[in-house]
Amino acid sequence: MTRRILDHPILGKMEDLDDSNYVSFQFNEVIYQGIENESLAAALLANGIRTLRYHEESGRARGIYCNIGHCYECRVTIDGRPGVRACLTPVKEGMDVVSGKPISSNEGGVSSEAE
Amino acid sequence: MRLNNAIIIGAGPAGLTAAATCAENGMNVLVIDEYMRTGGRLLGQLYEEPDGGWWNGIEESRNLYEKAVELGVEFHLNTPVNNLENEGGVWTIYTEQEIFQTEHLLLATGAAESPIPIPGWTLPGVMSVGAAQVMTNVHRVQPGDRGIIIGVNVLSAAIAMELSLANIEVVSLALPEKNLITQESANPKEVMKSLLHVSHMAPSKFARWGSRLMKNSFMQTLGVNFYPKSGVKMWNIPVQLRKAVTEIYGDDKVEGVKLATINAKGEIVPGSEENITLDFVCIAGGLYPLAELAAVAGCPFYLVEELGGYVPLHNERMETPLQGLYVAGNITGIEGAKVAASQGRTAGLSMVCHATENQLEDEINYSMEQTSKTREEAHIQFHPEIDKGRTKILNQWKSYHLEE
Amino acid sequence: MANNRHCDVIVIGGGIVGSAIAYYCSKSELDITLLEKKELASGTSSKCDGNILAVDKDPGFDSQMSLKSQNLVHKLKEELEIPFDYRNPGSVLVCENELEMEAAQRWVDQQQEAGLDFRMLDREDLRNESSYLADDLFGGLECRTDSIVNPYMLTYAMGQGAKKFGAKIHTHTEVKNLYKNQKKIFVLETNHGTFTANKVVNACGAWAPYIGEMLDINIPIKPRKGHVIVASRQKPVASRNVMEFGYLISKFGGERQVDPITEKYGAALVFEPTESQNFLVGSSRQFNGYDTKVDHDVVKHIAKRAVRFFPKIRDMTVIRTYAGLRPWTIDHLPIISHVEEAPGFYIAAGHEGDGISLAAITGKVIEEMINGFETSIPTEPLRYDRFSMEERV
Repeated sequence: MTRRILDHPILGKMEDLDDSNYVSFQFNEVIYQGIENESLAAALLANGIRTLRYHEESGRARGIYCNIGHCYECRVTIDGRPGVRACLTPVKEGMDVVSGKPISSNEGGVSSEAE
Repeated sequence: MRLNNAIIIGAGPAGLTAAATCAENGMNVLVIDEYMRTGGRLLGQLYEEPDGGWWNGIEESRNLYEKAVELGVEFHLNTPVNNLENEGGVWTIYTEQEIFQTEHLLLATGAAESPIPIPGWTLPGVMSVGAAQVMTNVHRVQPGDRGIIIGVNVLSAAIAMELSLANIEVVSLALPEKNLITQESANPKEVMKSLLHVSHMAPSKFARWGSRLMKNSFMQTLGVNFYPKSGVKMWNIPVQLRKAVTEIYGDDKVEGVKLATINAKGEIVPGSEENITLDFVCIAGGLYPLAELAAVAGCPFYLVEELGGYVPLHNERMETPLQGLYVAGNITGIEGAKVAASQGRTAGLSMVCHATENQLEDEINYSMEQTSKTREEAHIQFHPEIDKGRTKILNQWKSYHLEE
Repeated sequence: MANNRHCDVIVIGGGIVGSAIAYYCSKSELDITLLEKKELASGTSSKCDGNILAVDKDPGFDSQMSLKSQNLVHKLKEELEIPFDYRNPGSVLVCENELEMEAAQRWVDQQQEAGLDFRMLDREDLRNESSYLADDLFGGLECRTDSIVNPYMLTYAMGQGAKKFGAKIHTHTEVKNLYKNQKKIFVLETNHGTFTANKVVNACGAWAPYIGEMLDINIPIKPRKGHVIVASRQKPVASRNVMEFGYLISKFGGERQVDPITEKYGAALVFEPTESQNFLVGSSRQFNGYDTKVDHDVVKHIAKRAVRFFPKIRDMTVIRTYAGLRPWTIDHLPIISHVEEAPGFYIAAGHEGDGISLAAITGKVIEEMINGFETSIPTEPLRYDRFSMEERV
């Protein structure tokens, strides 16, 4: 399903949009289509995807909030690089995007006295 | 290092106008912005002007950008700036990609939105009202099918209309529940007062309510007390000053909100909560100047409520007390795009003045007058006492230089 | 209106120390008003880490004072309404050579003698502590009573607690002038009018000398700049404070076996996990006036130092960096004292890097002094007049 506003009463139709504008990218191992150079956050939302990551501590779902790069809520791992803001990143062909997951608290080999 | 060059951080209306002004006067100009497109917050704007024409932020942005490009302005987009340093009158700008240097640096970084923390506000589907605006008008992606806007102010009123233009259902504009942080934005009377400044945008009965009620404080209280429970409709969207959202619920995405009736002081009427099913929520906490880079540069700051928060010290020529550092646009206080552009022109002229032998006193004075005029004629006023705020920061400038 | 502006005690400074004073004084039913130039916790109390430590205190008076403060904070957890991310996991010092291990052993012996819960750690213990620690470390020591708070939240929590007990808090109120009138009442002129009080407490930290000057009192406190990096949780690196033993040497001005730039910046590892599992990395020590601009060269050296101890954090994301000013005194102890030259004037400042650790006990002791009660700790070593004339310059 698409959530794009292809026609707008004031802004008109989306300009020069044809198949050649679309690129494929991967999000959590699933392939989606986006319009080349639109923001990754917009491309995901257009595909109906709202959950971009799970909170490191609580594991709760998080999505875009400010859309201008300020809040960092939309951070994802892109092509192996963590902490990249989806709202500021132009989507490209072949991009590999992965959500953050909650951190397991004993991964660091932390002693139980720490409670 | 190139001589006489100028660097501008922020490609919104202020930055783009300043860039064109500098380039027109023979400077080499580089504009840096971390976003992928130029225009800043102007991009998302879409509203009907009093003359019936439409103000289309995308077109306005494109015009400013194209003019700058024609004049030879260089752009580095997708380029976040991490640090600024000054040594011997030269500013070094550290970005994620490259390091740049200039003697004339303009910060035109615009504004950010204040959040309103409400239980459930981190759920996917909750976003700032500005985020929804850019998604809808710029990226042309719906934020959802049916939503509510929490926070009733100039910005949220304008964006509610933009959402409905794009056929997205906005069930209402309501207040946040009163708490330590929401304070005035949760008080119906305060909100009513601030809303009167947007009333001329509404050709409906809201305007009549507004103009009649704005007479005095007694009438304002009366207006809030007798404010219809179902709200007053603005562009067919109920504006509910006597309703507050107490919680956003949902498991891993927005499923709805709890909406309660509030009294004139903003207190919840017990037992009045109802569940409203929807799939997105916009939070409208208002704008504040995005001024981190001015702080990093070491510019002194003052808290001026009328300007939207902490603003870097500056004068009418858009100079800061730091040599070679200028500011323009919403970093100096929250106003509309036209005022920002006008300030950008003044800043550009000031930069040219310092960088070259050109004497531009007449142009600068004219540009400063234009800014005041644009302010007076502004279609939307973000703060009713913007002039008072502008005077405050200018007085700070004077006393700062007396202390020196 | 003029009458409302008079109170028994005025505390100047809304950092963690001023808030603690407002809290304990109002709790004991003193009529107290706090004046703050900016917002609560807008100076050093928000440009620091949140460690409440005995591990880095001189064995004896210094560490005992810290222990008392820890006990008070433990109680504050129950007393205050606003939570402040209190945790009590203990803390660790790590050694990178045999020489440090020997010094650590002496440190542990002294602390144990003073009755504190310290013990040595060997290589195996470090491996159990965190799999992120470098393999080549020799060992270290732990202090099991140490705790962590969010200093910002604790300042606000005490401020809010004080308000509930009737204290008045005025933010954005800068004291421009302070003097005693003919009736021996303190007059405080601010940008928001004049206040009067019978007693005044100067809790302005690194800025305390400015208030002292207004009464012709020389307060020998100097700002000592420090940088902190806030890094993003990607992995749980460690669950409690980890510092290098060299930090102690840096703090007390000894000689370390490090490169000249690390020495110049006083760069030494302090690692603190926040409650949300992000982590703070410090530290640096520089005398640099009142400048708080982040120096990226210093930040680089702090990061380098941290990577030396936690090699795998090299690739983790930095959220932000900041610099703050520690109120330094020559003997590294705060001034918590009545000033005899100006009866009714108290100083509670000069905690250097221990303001968070010692805020609670400072607030309590000032309350006891003002009420004329016996103090929880001996205050002789904290007297204002302990410094020689040279030290005051």
